[in-house]
Parts: sequence; C-alpha cells; structure tokens
Amino acid sequence: MLIQKASGGVADAFLFRVRKFKSQRMAAYRLVLIRHGESCWNQENRFCGWFDADLSEAGVQEAKRGGQALKDSGFEFDVCYTSVLQRAIRTLWLVLDGIDQMWLPVHRTWRLNERHYGGLTGLNKAETAARHGEAQVKVWRRSYDIPPPPMDAEHDLYSAISQDRRYRDLSKDQLPICESLKDTIARALPFWNEEIVPQIKEGKKVLIAAHGNSLRGIVKHLEDMTDEAIMNLNLPTGIPIVYELDKNLKPIKPMQFLGDEETVRKAMEAVAAQGKAKK
Amino acid sequence: MPEHRLFLLRHGEGAWNKENRFCSWVDQKLSEDGVKEAQECGRLLKEMGCQFDMVFTSILSRSVQTAWQVLEVMGLEWVPVVKSWRLNERHYGALIGLNRAEMALNHGEERVKLWRRSYDVTPPPIDESHPFFTEIYNDRRYNSCDIPKENLPRAESLKDVLDRLLPYWDNIIAPEIKRGKTVLLSAHGNSCRALLKHLEGISDSDIAGVTLPTGVPILLELDGDLRPVKPRQLLGDQAKIQAAIKKVEDQGKAKPGGK
Repeated sequence: MLIQKASGGVADAFLFRVRKFKSQRMAAYRLVLIRHGESCWNQENRFCGWFDADLSEAGVQEAKRGGQALKDSGFEFDVCYTSVLQRAIRTLWLVLDGIDQMWLPVHRTWRLNERHYGGLTGLNKAETAARHGEAQVKVWRRSYDIPPPPMDAEHDLYSAISQDRRYRDLSKDQLPICESLKDTIARALPFWNEEIVPQIKEGKKVLIAAHGNSLRGIVKHLEDMTDEAIMNLNLPTGIPIVYELDKNLKPIKPMQFLGDEETVRKAMEAVAAQGKAKK
Repeated sequence: MPEHRLFLLRHGEGAWNKENRFCSWVDQKLSEDGVKEAQECGRLLKEMGCQFDMVFTSILSRSVQTAWQVLEVMGLEWVPVVKSWRLNERHYGALIGLNRAEMALNHGEERVKLWRRSYDVTPPPIDESHPFFTEIYNDRRYNSCDIPKENLPRAESLKDVLDRLLPYWDNIIAPEIKRGKTVLLSAHGNSCRALLKHLEGISDSDIAGVTLPTGVPILLELDGDLRPVKPRQLLGDQAKIQAAIKKVEDQGKAKPGGK
C-alpha cells in the first residue's frame, strides 16, 4: 500500500495508527457481568448480605432493561453463572427471558453470593452507627480485610440463613458467619478459576449475574487491581458489563457498559466520580 | 412405605395451546393464563411443604418458564435446574403448527386421535419446505445437545419419545432420586405421558386413554427401585382437575364453525 508523501503530520498520524493497531491484542473472548438491581432491602438501606431479599419493582425493571440492552446488541451466550440468592437469580431469569435464551444451562453457587455482613445483616445505617459508633463503621467501610462482627446464634436471621437447606452441603469451615471483602473474594475466586475460566477457554460465551462484592472479586482479578482500588469501585447495577479478553484472559480495553446512551453515560460518570470522592 | 416422591408437571397454556395448534418443538412462551397456572401450581406445592432438591426441564422456553414460576412462588430459586432436549415435547413432524380442529375436519377425528394418542404411529416428518423448519433447526439450542443436530428427530411417535427420554431418566434423573433428592420434572404432555407409561407399566393401548391436564402437579410415590407404590395422584382441587382434563380431550375434536 502506498503512503503518499503528504505533509509530515498526516503520514505520521497514519503510521502511528498502523503501529497501534498492530500492537493491540485481539479479543479472544468476551465475558458479560451483571450486578443485580435494587432489592427490597436496598430500598430500606439495610445491610443485606446473605439475607435472601427479593428484587424491588425498580430492581425488576433494571434487570429487564439490562436484558433489553443485551438483546439490542445481539448477545448470545452458552452458559450462565449466578449465586444462590434470589435477587441475582431473578435478575438472570429476567435477562434470559429478555434475550430469549431461557434454555441456557445455569449454574448456581454460594461462592458468587454477596459478601456476608455478619452481625450487621439486617441493620440499617442509623442502627449500625448507633450500635457500633461512627468510628467503627468507618473502619469497616474502609478496610479490605477487617470483617464485621459475626452473626451468632442469637441473631434474628441466624437460622434463616445459616441453617437454610441451600447451604447444607457446605462444611463448617466453608459456611461464613461474617466476611471482609478479602474473605468474599477468597471464596469467589476458586469458583472463577476452576469452573468459569475453563469454560471461557473452551470458547463458551459466559454471562455472570451476581452481586457487588462477588463481582468485585472477578474484576479485581481480571484487572489486577490493588485492594484500595477495588474498594473504591462500585459497579453499576442492572447494566451489562462487557469485558473483551485476550487469550490469557487479560482485558484488552476497559470494561464497557451496555445500554442507551444516557444510561451508559450516567454509569460511566458515577464510576469515574467514585475514584475521586473520599468518604 | 414410599421411599421417594417424584413430581411431574405439564406446563400451562402457551399462546398456541389457546389456538389449538400442535406446538411441539416450536418455542412458544407461556400465555398469561399459563403463567397463572404455573404460579397456582407453585402455591399448591408450597402449601404441601414440598422441598425440591432438583428440577429438570426440557429446552423449550415454556417448560423452563413454568419451572421458574413454580420455584419463585415457593422461594426456591436456588434449586438447581437442569435442562435437556430429551424432555422436549413430542416432535409432531409435518403436523407442527396445524390447528387440531382443522386437522380433525380434514382427516377425521379418529385419524387425529390415532396420531395424537397411538403409541407407535409416527406422523409424517417435517422437511425444509415446512414453514417452521428453519425456526426450529437453526435455533442455537440444538447445536449443544448430547447428540449431533442432524440426528435429532424430524417426527416422533410416543414410542420414539420414550426411546430418547429413557436413557436420560436412567442415567441422569433416576440416580438423583435414588440419592434421596426430591425431584420436579417440568415438562410437556407427551414427555410426561411417556415417562408415566414406563414407570407405571401402562400398555401400548391403554396409554392412548391417558390425558394429563395442564398445570396440575402429578405425584408419583416410588419404592427404592423407583416402582410406584400406588397410582399417580393429581394434586389440587379435583373438580378443577376433571375440567382441565376435559379441556385437553376436547382439543382433539373438530368444532364446526371453527374456533
């Protein structure tokens, strides 16, 4: 191909783009994550964690919009993963209905559950501050590896959660009574590595519908983020998050959000603002 | 003393059930009434205190949708759901999409009854000229079955349905039941009938007279070898059930003046 000897600027710009294109890694795989939308407890500002709250009506609409965004972009999947909490599962179901892929295999695992908030489960912000003091709450918020107080047998929700049939196959060591973000990620990643990664590498198109903190585990791992950086990242809800990965499962570009222009713009701005705000 | 309880469910009304057309492998979702039927089922099973451990469905949306509605009403969304083409509705071949009443008018009620209710009479196969051929065989879900797409049926008798269902029952479902799991099968009229024929030892001629209503859970109590210890039980309001059975039976009959 002839490169005309135009002014130096144009030729340089052309050559720069050629070089950049050559050095850009090709996407071998594509992965989609979706964080469930508003739950009934989100509405009440309560620590939800392993409590099996349902989606609010707004959360249902978020999931439907997420499904519509995937439908508009013609996404096809081969396998889906989700937690054992209904707000994530129902989000996945609404998405699969929206994209007419209800026949896809779905694998549910406690390892993709939301972070377990221990003794804080069920408390709203005011109650938490009143019970533990603002300073302690700040420590928990800002800490990567300090867990909240455990959920003991006296807790109102102890039997509803710890003794629920869905967890009966977990060993005593596996079943948490509280988790730091570090703990959540430590129990999510083995599932990612042992179950999900092999599927991706087989060329299967994967959709994961889960929770803020379990998805943070995957994002932290994919993007090799620091503890501090992941704590400052709040993934948008109800918006499909698309990763294009090279053959080593490294993202070749930043995560992309799917949706109408305004939804995507707002989500991107919200994420960008998080990095700046220091609460 | 039954060792195991197995629940079968024929999905509720789909858009084509309303129009009385052979839906078969065409992927229709539930109608609004079908969704309500499924939810009602869920309420009934919840009241009975059923604790499912596993759900099996076909890969047709209406069977999956039914399972999801039931699980949602019961608060059991976390229960594993496993899907297979081997639980699909019977493949009606060239009759797919045809209105039952028209079929009865054109071929006579008896011939339609024979195709619908005989054990081993296969309808004529579907071919590329059929209006729904592409919709079915270009669908991605049939690329990932446990047999190659070209080996999937083009038409089935009830016997053919059992032939492709039985290995799945023996190798996948039965072992779970024997492991003590309480299983719900959310499937279709003929996949349920085929399985019942096998489990209850119903003869080739008697199976013709077996009609399963939609949206009514069927309980089979089984011994350790998965043989029924008593006749199947249709659960719920018995008057409603009889009306639902009659509704299915009437679909085979021609209605002069057409519906």
